[in-house]
Amino acid sequence: MNLDALIPDYVRRFQAYIPSKPDHLLMREYGTTLLHRLNNNENPLGPPPAAARVIAAFPPERAAIYPSGDSYDLREALGLRFGITPDRFLVGNGSCEVISSVIKAFCQPGDNIITADKTFAVYEWVAEFSGIEARLVPLQDYAFDPQGMLDRIDRNTKILFVCNPNNPTGAYWTRQVLIDFLEQVGQNRIVVVDEAYREYVEDPEYPDTISLMERFPNLVAFRTFSKMYALAGLRSGYLVGTEAVVEVVRRTSVAYSVNVQAQQAALAALVDDQEHIAATRALARTGKAFLRGICDTLCLETVCGEGNYLMIRTPINDMLMYRRLMKRGMMVRTMTGFRFPGWIRVTLREMAVMECFAEVLAEEIRAIRMQGGAR
Amino acid sequence: MRQQPVEQQGVRARIPFSAPFLPLAMEFIEKGAHGFGYNDRETGGMVLAMEELFSFYVSQAASKSAIEIELEDQGYRLALILAFRMADPDMRAFNLTWNLSPDSEESLAMLGPMIAARSVSSLRLDFGANEQVVLRMTRDRDYAPARAVPLPPSEVAGPLRLLDPSADDLSHFAAMAAASGTPFLPPFLSRPAMAAAMLSVGHLSALLIARGDWMVGGVLWRPLTDSCLELYGPYMFTGDPDDQGLALLLDEAVGRISRSGYRGLVRRQGPLAGHERFFDFLGELALRGLSNAAARSTYYYRQLKEESGGAVYCSGSLAAFLGEQYDRLCLPRQVRESLIDLARMRPASVLSVELEPARSLAIIRPLCAGKDMAANLTAHLDLLRGEGIDNFLVEINTGRSEDTAFVTALEETGFLPRLVIPDAGQGDLVIYDHPDKDMAA
Repeated sequence: MNLDALIPDYVRRFQAYIPSKPDHLLMREYGTTLLHRLNNNENPLGPPPAAARVIAAFPPERAAIYPSGDSYDLREALGLRFGITPDRFLVGNGSCEVISSVIKAFCQPGDNIITADKTFAVYEWVAEFSGIEARLVPLQDYAFDPQGMLDRIDRNTKILFVCNPNNPTGAYWTRQVLIDFLEQVGQNRIVVVDEAYREYVEDPEYPDTISLMERFPNLVAFRTFSKMYALAGLRSGYLVGTEAVVEVVRRTSVAYSVNVQAQQAALAALVDDQEHIAATRALARTGKAFLRGICDTLCLETVCGEGNYLMIRTPINDMLMYRRLMKRGMMVRTMTGFRFPGWIRVTLREMAVMECFAEVLAEEIRAIRMQGGAR
Repeated sequence: MRQQPVEQQGVRARIPFSAPFLPLAMEFIEKGAHGFGYNDRETGGMVLAMEELFSFYVSQAASKSAIEIELEDQGYRLALILAFRMADPDMRAFNLTWNLSPDSEESLAMLGPMIAARSVSSLRLDFGANEQVVLRMTRDRDYAPARAVPLPPSEVAGPLRLLDPSADDLSHFAAMAAASGTPFLPPFLSRPAMAAAMLSVGHLSALLIARGDWMVGGVLWRPLTDSCLELYGPYMFTGDPDDQGLALLLDEAVGRISRSGYRGLVRRQGPLAGHERFFDFLGELALRGLSNAAARSTYYYRQLKEESGGAVYCSGSLAAFLGEQYDRLCLPRQVRESLIDLARMRPASVLSVELEPARSLAIIRPLCAGKDMAANLTAHLDLLRGEGIDNFLVEINTGRSEDTAFVTALEETGFLPRLVIPDAGQGDLVIYDHPDKDMAA
């Protein structure tokens, strides 16, 4: 069989993402008896109480029944929450699925998308393995550069992706920056604002994208239940846009992709999320202040905006730092893959874990400096 | 503008593997190479290799078997792949040490593969499933050496800016690198048109920095193996206060490389000040007989993917050496003992040798393990010493049992493991050297 002849060029060129191994294997490989996950920006508080109860009470026999194919109840609840029709929501198996749906809905080979060079990589990946050019604009002061993105638009540009706040830098556009950008883009292209970490932002100037969609019908927002709502293991995210846009994206989406437990838990999470959000924000705020202080003491540069993560510049290359920390039971995210070589991203967690991490980090940094580097 | 790789062109044939078809096979190569624009000298080397290999193996081929011939123009070189099935192919003649004796018919018969190996720029043997033998050869185009070009003054005003080079830019940069007198100049940079052609076909990547009207530095990279890239440079032609240019080049280069499929990046040139931020230090090799900076080869490595765990099977002192190195580099590897059964091996081992006369260096790589491994290594050492070579490295791929089978023979012949390059082969690549050229092998 000549498999090569079957594969489109853009798939042949693409390199599959390699996810981390399961924790138990990593612990064995690195010879550690504990592993604190500080790599995926998970919420250590777990889901809001109502969602936790739904998950705990999930009846096994329900697993034999297909879920709602279009997350009907969840979309109803989202409609009620945001005061718009449920038809303006499209729920996916995590927001990564809706990224794929949007690109499939609007792009064909020859088209391009525009995003930043140092951001969440999935926009770029989906474009590339779909035969769509991904135009990458350098960040300016760790933030998306609106003018840089506008300058790259041409007649084949279909979608502009803005990660707001940006993962991994935490920088974000205010409402006015977004409005100015939308005005200049015009209405012949889709503007996607990925708001995976929106619930962490407390600034009143942070844009309410849904309220802007009437004026800018080409505006689409992605949101997720994985981060603030701590449902990452169930995979549930959604897209919100105008009815016309969502109707088109629905054509390229797979029905029944969101499992019943994810739908039920996400729906419940919306019921009593206020205290949960406040507690999570406080946890991130405290962790951020603590870790920045530690890094200042250690003379380590940090980049820290909104979100439950912080970037640290390491005195040795980030891959070696990762391995050194792994051997001490601390799993961080290397930033080489985000095109930030020499940096790590650390998830802000509860203080007990932050203190443990700070102790290990300080010991490693001292050891590295005593060795005069990595030798 | 980033260089878009040029589409490569090739021709393929599948012909009966029998003597009457030899002229057709040779004609196929000759016409194909000329069609791709190679001159008589370049074409001749490949035709000769084809003739000798075909003639040698056709006598061992099963009746009614076929040989697949693929000739590809890669711009700066011609690549030839021969693939056929053979139960027990005789590869001994590829050894550099194969001795010719006019009194021995077998010896004369073996002359063919040796001629073939020496008439091309590179030759690789691969053994696949179902008794498949694949011979891969390349023959570089002939390129003129670099002409003299001016270098920038030591102080150039203006901000640094990154430059994605065109083929012409890179050709000029290569000439500047040659003019700079760096002791670490890979062969393709000493032939600027070759570097430019490699860039055009996507076999080489480069990033330059400019200040004002001058190119003031650059860095290059290309595949070392299927899983590992090799970095060359950064070459800096002016002063670089606070390593601004160096950091700009390396951060951007690593950022670009990071989303490729490669797992590691290696640099094997001289010491790099402030390397810690970019690389892991793997070790240093001292080469005898050289007085310039190239006498020390400093090996640096950078992992490109977070996932790097794996098991390594090896025996003897190599297990202890690897355990120590993996621990120092915090690499998650399980070192497991493997047993080598000499009795079940083929009689003759095969080694390939890459010579770097300028550094008086021979790099020896196992192709096939065999019962005579220690004797074969000794013969290679003796022959190479006779040729005036002072330095011997052996590369052992931990992912190939044909390689790790050599460990005991290496110990017996005085080789010592010096450093390990993670992910540089099917597994990791262990570099052995021979510490004393006068040591009895």
